[in-house]
Formats: sequence, structure tokens, C-alpha cells
Amino acid sequence: MKPLYQYHLSRLVKARIKLSQNLLLTLGLSLGLGLFACSSNAADEVSTNSSDIERGAYLMKIGDCVACHTAVGGRELTGGLPFETPFGAVYSTNITSDKDTGIGKYSYNEFFDAMHHGVGVNGNLYPAMPYTSYSLLSDEDTKAIYAYLMSTKPIKQANLDNDVSFPFNVRFGLKAWNLIAHDAEKFAPKKDKSEPWNRGNYLVNALGHCGECHTPRDSLFAMEQDKHFQGAVIEGLEASDITPAELNRQNWTHDDLKSLFTEGYSRKGTVFGGMYPVVYHSFSHLTDADMHAVSSYLLDTDETIEAKPLTFNGHQRELPGYNLYMGYCAGCHSQNGEGRPNVAPAMAGNATLDKASPHNIVAVMLKGIKSQHYNTTTSFYAMPGYADQLSDEQLKDLSNYLRVTWSNQPGDVDVDTIHDLKEVIFEHD
Amino acid sequence: MSQSIKLTINNQAIGPIDVGDGTMMIEFLHEYLNLTGTKFGCGAGVCHACTVIVDDEQGMSEVVRTCINGVERFNGKRIRTVEGHAKQNAQGEITALSPVQQTFLEHFSFQCGWCTSGFVNESTALIERLERKPIAKDNVEQVIEDALGEHVCRCTGYVKYYAAMKDLILKTEGLTLS
Repeated sequence: MKPLYQYHLSRLVKARIKLSQNLLLTLGLSLGLGLFACSSNAADEVSTNSSDIERGAYLMKIGDCVACHTAVGGRELTGGLPFETPFGAVYSTNITSDKDTGIGKYSYNEFFDAMHHGVGVNGNLYPAMPYTSYSLLSDEDTKAIYAYLMSTKPIKQANLDNDVSFPFNVRFGLKAWNLIAHDAEKFAPKKDKSEPWNRGNYLVNALGHCGECHTPRDSLFAMEQDKHFQGAVIEGLEASDITPAELNRQNWTHDDLKSLFTEGYSRKGTVFGGMYPVVYHSFSHLTDADMHAVSSYLLDTDETIEAKPLTFNGHQRELPGYNLYMGYCAGCHSQNGEGRPNVAPAMAGNATLDKASPHNIVAVMLKGIKSQHYNTTTSFYAMPGYADQLSDEQLKDLSNYLRVTWSNQPGDVDVDTIHDLKEVIFEHD
Repeated sequence: MSQSIKLTINNQAIGPIDVGDGTMMIEFLHEYLNLTGTKFGCGAGVCHACTVIVDDEQGMSEVVRTCINGVERFNGKRIRTVEGHAKQNAQGEITALSPVQQTFLEHFSFQCGWCTSGFVNESTALIERLERKPIAKDNVEQVIEDALGEHVCRCTGYVKYYAAMKDLILKTEGLTLS
């Protein structure tokens, strides 16, 4: 029987092939039928009330606008960050209040349409802008975010041209995509759930737009809602399965999630890749009440969860991965996997090891992790990548050693799997 | 628990020797071999003072930090430490420094010297890379920055190390494209 991760891997490859075919079909439909889908909001006013602006600033942080709308080394909210898509690079735009290059000329109605329907003043937005999630935002919160953005200092910085290939550069096709793949539903609290749970649902799914990365996408590149939060591969890394079932299986507690979202590390490991800017710019700013709401929703309970002992099954010196661990890893992660504060996370209890797929274990070993800074007392130095040092055989041995020693996952990773994973992991390099 | 380690350091065969599991390479160099020229700095792989060179059989090299890598990683490998670069006579007396060591001396590159073992090894590996694959003169500063950028020095502030390397690379025939 094939391991579960092999199923996911083959599914991903098939989906990618089908993706291009279906998008071409969608584009053709749109050009032929001239489909149009957009609605506008009644109110068209900007609040200058300081409490609205302050609330908008908070919502903007939790919505994580900065992470995407700020280039590496660039000025905040001026855009320019590239997003690698299967169709080419899409660049985020300037959303400061500058009237020429930013969104200063946007009326509230136009801003609402961009946020909720993906329709900007210059045409349809690529769904790299998560309007498919922001559409759940309340009108009140959209107004507060608008009020904040209009209060920002206008910074003149021209937007970069997207590098999207034909026919995907014809934005008209996005109208058809929206009609098929975007359901602009209103957020509706569930009556059988607690208030924190519902607040968490709103924060996670509307503002936090977590599903955009953590939900797999179908052949039309739309989120597969029946697989909500079951994990997906983004730019070579696996955005984890964050369903309550999986998080509870791994014994995440409210405190663990709070620690992870506040300082980037926890009893269950650290964030890396695209989650670092999410934590740094966004979730680390959650109020305590909202943090509890988020964890209540993700864990599907607002009751205390008991933290069970972390898994360490003891070393097995006879396994080929043992010497590799001692030679390459133990210096930072410690001999028994305890880790070192501000240097390297513990292996025991590490959620990355305790996943069915070895994808992220292999990705991290190959590419390392960039250094992370959270505040004056919490930073992590970079983990080196070992793509030039470790053979596929060694990657297999080390992956299996980590899994059987510090998780209850089987040591069933084979060389073919390593080979297949490397193709996905290095695809965008 | 311990295991048998056998390796070559500065052209001298070492071992087999029993070493405790998970012993960091720098501890092995210091405590087992009395090779104390490689300095222990941060102990977390940040400062790069403890960098040594590992050579493979194809003549390629990599630089490795010894404070975060266990002796198991080096088993069976050929290692060069800062003690191995200068020329020595039969009595073990130093007769000539390596070009990298010499240029660092001439440029007063180091003061306390704690980071020097790492700078010497990283720079030596860089010179050897350039011997195999010369670069355009315009790229020299960038290549130096790429190679030495992670090395921490708290005394002379990098400039003298970088200037020394730039001088050496530009004046050594075959390292840059004419």
C-alpha cells in the first residue's frame, strides 16, 4: 500500500497538468460570452474618525496586507512583491493613499469591489489578491480598513508590470473565473458554536485568509472547499493541514498556538517559509481575546487542552540516519532533540516531523530556513540547506530517522519519493 | 556511547579513534588532537570563526562550521584547519605563510585574532575556487562579500579583511579575467 503522501504527490502533479487546460477553457468562455460579474456597495464615504482608523489599522494587520504589499527591502504597502504562479509572476501593488500610483483615488465603492469581488479600477485583479476570502469581511470592517489605508502617507511608487504569459495576461478571463470559482457569500456565524469560535472563524477565514494557502486548489485554481484547510503545496513548501482533526491529533494546545503566532516558535515547533511574514506582520498583533478566538476555531474548542508528553522514542544507533543526525543536526537540535532557544526548535513534538508527508522535512533539509527576527529578545539564526551535501539516499535515511525517533510516523520514505519531492521543492528556483 | 572515527587532517591520518557520539568537531579538534587554532565563538553557527575546509576526492572543497557539526559528518573526510596552511620545514617550523595569511598580516586585518581562523579558511577556499573559475575584475568585491559576508569580526570591522582579499585577488595571476 502506498504511503498517503505519495497519493498527495501524484494528485498534485495531475492537478497541475489539468490546471492549465481548464484555465484556457475558462478564458475561452469569457472571451466568447463577455461574462461580467461585479456588484457595488451603497455607501461611498471615508471615515476620518480616529477610532475607525485605529480599528482599521488593526484589521489591516490581521488581514496581513503588509506581508504581500511590501517588497523585500521596500517601503510598507508600496507593493512590488512577486508571486510566482503557474502562469508567471504577479506583482503586488501600491496600496498607500497616493492618488497616482496607490489607491488614493479609489472611492469606497471601488475599494469594496476590489476587496470583495476582485475588481479594481483598472480591471480584474488576479486571485493572488485573496478577495475570495476578504469577501467574507463585514461592510463595517471593510470601511475601517478603507479609512486606515486612506489615512496612510501617500508614497509614490509605480507598480510593476506583471509577467504573466498569454492567454492568462488577458484579464477579461478573470471575470469568468470569478463567476465559476468565486462565491461572494456573506459571513454567517454558526449558532451552535461559541462566540470565540465564531470570532475565530471570521478572523481566520475572512481577514487571515488562511485558506488561500492551507486549502488545496482544484484544476481551476479555486479553493476546494470540501478539503478546507487540508494543506497544499505553495512555492515548494507544504502549507500544513490545519484542520481541527489534524491539530488535535498532533496535540496542539491553545498556548502552543499562541506561542507560535506570537513568537514564531512553540512546544510543537516553529514557523518557516511563508508563515514567518504572516506571524511577524499579522498574527503576532492579535489581541489576547482574538488570539484565543483563533485557537478556539482552529482547535474546534475553547476549552483547555491537556499538553501530552512530547514524543521521543529513543535513539536507534543501528539505523543509517543516526550518524547523519549526529553529524549534521545535533549541533543545533541537540543530541536528544531538545533544540536550543533562539537557535533551533526541538525535534521532540515537532509538528513538521509528525506529518504523514515528509515534504517539509525534505524541503527544509534541502533549502534550509532563513533567519527570523520577531522582537528584541526573540530571533532565530538561519538553518543551512544541505542540497549540495546530502545525497538522495542520505535524505531518505535522515528523514526516516527523524520520523521514527521523534514522531509516530513510519520510516517508510524511499529514494523515489525523495526524488519526486525534490522536483516539486525546486520547481520555482 | 562512542564510535570509531578515522579522518585526515592537514594531510595527517588520524585514527581510528573512539569518540563520543555527537561530539562537535571543534571539541574533537581541541580536546582530542590539541589543534586549538580553530576558534570557538558563538557555538551556534552564527559567527563562522570555527570554519574549516573539507576536501573531497575530486578536488572540490566546502567550508563547514565545526561548532554545529558533529565529528560523524567528518568521518573518512580530508580536513584542513588553520594550522595546515603555512609551509613548514622538517622540524615543524613555519617557513612561509600562505598568501591569504600573508595578505591579512600586511593589511592589519585582525586584532584579537579570534575570528581569523574562519576568515583564513573561507578566504583560502575562495582563492581556490577562483583558481578553477576566474571572475571579471568588476565582480571581485561582490564575490568577497558573498564569501565573507557571514563571518563576524568585532575588532577591525571587516574593511581590512575585505581590502586584503581584494588586493590579493587582483594581484594574483589567474584569479581574474583580463
